[in-house]
Amino acid sequence: MREFWSICLSWFEQELPAQQFNTWIKGLRLEIDPNDSTRYQLIAPNRFIMQWVRERYLTQIETLGNEFFTHPITIQLSVNESIPESSPSSPELESITEAFQKTTTKTISSPKNTGVDYAKTHLNHEFTFDTLVTGRANDLARAAAQQVAMNPGTSYNPLFIYGGVGLGKTHLIHAIGNSIYAANPAMEIRYVHAEDYFSDMVRAFQQNSRDSFKQYYRSLDLLLIDDIQFFNRKDRTQEEFFYAFNALIEAKKQIIITSDTYPKDVQGLEERLISRFDWGLTVTIDPPELEMRIAILKKKAEAERVSIPDEVCFLIAKNLRSNVRELEGALNRVIAYAGFHGKEISLDVAKDALRDIISATNRQISLEQIQKTVSDFYKIKVSELHSKKRTRAIARPRQIAMWLARELTSHSLPEIGDFFGGRDHTTVIHACRTITEIKINDLEISNNLHVLIQTLKT
Amino acid sequence: MTLQQQLLLDLQLDQPPTLENFVAGANAELIARLRSLTDHHHFDAVYLWGPAGCGKSHLLAATANAASAKRPVIFLPVEKVLSGDGFKSRSLDGADVTVVSGSLLVIDEIQALDEEGQRALFRLFNTARFLGLALLLSGTEPPMQLALREDLRTRIGQMLIYEIHRLSDEEKAAALAHHAQLRGMLMDPGVVQYLLRHGRRDLPSLMHMLESLDRISLEQHRPLTVPLVRELMQTTLDTVNTDLS
Repeated sequence: MREFWSICLSWFEQELPAQQFNTWIKGLRLEIDPNDSTRYQLIAPNRFIMQWVRERYLTQIETLGNEFFTHPITIQLSVNESIPESSPSSPELESITEAFQKTTTKTISSPKNTGVDYAKTHLNHEFTFDTLVTGRANDLARAAAQQVAMNPGTSYNPLFIYGGVGLGKTHLIHAIGNSIYAANPAMEIRYVHAEDYFSDMVRAFQQNSRDSFKQYYRSLDLLLIDDIQFFNRKDRTQEEFFYAFNALIEAKKQIIITSDTYPKDVQGLEERLISRFDWGLTVTIDPPELEMRIAILKKKAEAERVSIPDEVCFLIAKNLRSNVRELEGALNRVIAYAGFHGKEISLDVAKDALRDIISATNRQISLEQIQKTVSDFYKIKVSELHSKKRTRAIARPRQIAMWLARELTSHSLPEIGDFFGGRDHTTVIHACRTITEIKINDLEISNNLHVLIQTLKT
Repeated sequence: MTLQQQLLLDLQLDQPPTLENFVAGANAELIARLRSLTDHHHFDAVYLWGPAGCGKSHLLAATANAASAKRPVIFLPVEKVLSGDGFKSRSLDGADVTVVSGSLLVIDEIQALDEEGQRALFRLFNTARFLGLALLLSGTEPPMQLALREDLRTRIGQMLIYEIHRLSDEEKAAALAHHAQLRGMLMDPGVVQYLLRHGRRDLPSLMHMLESLDRISLEQHRPLTVPLVRELMQTTLDTVNTDLS
């Protein structure tokens, strides 16, 4: 049996990223049922991990088991009872009771459960778990965040969330803050961006209020600190934070940190800080895949009480891939455009609206670029555009290039003429008239112009 | 006796930029959006972009002017942003913010922000949420192509984005005619066509030509006709050539 479990472990070690392996698999223990040799017990250190393993890895463990043993086996999951479990059997119920107790005791001493208090947390009430769209890219991070929100200070401390810009790290940590605030409004909660922490500190030092600065951060029940990578090379800030960090962790106060990279890769961060970040749990948020981007758009549209056809969501999600913010910006633009023009949101409306964002039509286009693009397109030489040749195969592309120059640049007509082998501006006028006329009836020319414009603008 | 040159009183019609005297062309939605920003109930964040000479500064100044009657306005034109002074003179950080809640904050040419300026703008985005600020920013590139800090760039990408659409030659002609009319210039209709055919066709260049023409026609007591334009363009060209040689 031991052999089987070590095979399982090495299989997962190979298949999973090290961080996930360490978080979910390494701490598991396999035991055989003393009464039945086909029954096994997989023991997890806490309920959260048990749940996670059951949903994601149990099938795989069973498959490995069926391959290893000649007889079918059953695997049951349970939680290690000998260690006092951090996650209670009914976490919601307990945290509510707990919250109630805390609120009542605290309200007696200081009546502070007001809106002003909420403002002091610096939380954004719009960022909650309800408004967070979950997909493969962030489900691990979300699950961990919810776990921490239910048991602040006792499940994973610190919780370190990392991921690229605009993927929802800030949303997630505000969601934790809001969830904890909702359950325990009397808690001292503070969301702070690393840059603000830095400038608060600088100000405190300048105003000789260092002690109250220290006192404040050490008195918190929950510290949410965003974008820790901004501590890069700020040694004094790091030192200050280091002591605050230790004080809070020691007092079992929850700390949640975000960063744009994995702790070990954060530039200019002291080793002692990085190693402390490893004490808790590190989770990542990946860029959302297409389905998730669509889901995000739908959720956002729902919040704005606007109905958006699927193909419009698809169009936006396909064009804006890298982050959620720009996705939202694009949706806002479509809604505003449709609103102004009094139109229903449709694919055509969306395409028009997104032109300002997706295609950079105003990009400065040079006469050289136009000549190069046109001659490549018609497989002729740039020098032939300048030459005196007047055969159709050269003259038409030359006229097209002149027309494009007039349409896409602010150059004067004499300048354009000059650029085409010192031609007169009347030649340019003639070329532009010719092309304007024939493009109406000549489908091929009009199509070529379209392609050329697209090429030049991208 | 040579014709005496008329001495001009410096009585140029002072035309401050307004939303009304901007030739909207295909930018009607943008103008409407800017008009709404002047109202103190609106807290939109608007980013507009386009190349130099497309009217960004005109629109920003016009919006800031129109809004100042109805809400607190902070306008940082390009020089202030470039020097970084614009931000430093105001403490925008967390607790002691001097920007009043409900303000409209207008910043021009954000692509030129240095590191310090970018940091200030980034923190401003975060402050805007608490304070309730309307933002109007402009730059030469769409957000996707801005060479700024990624976290700042994506925040700009989240704003309402408008490209300033170029005017067609017909719209430019209309704009010039309108401008001439406002200044009480008597102009030969062929002049505008001549300018569009022979000169640079961006609106600031065209307007500049028109101003020069008006001055010369008054100085020399000559009607504003195509021959006068031709002469002026030749002189300008000669000056340029002398400067070059």
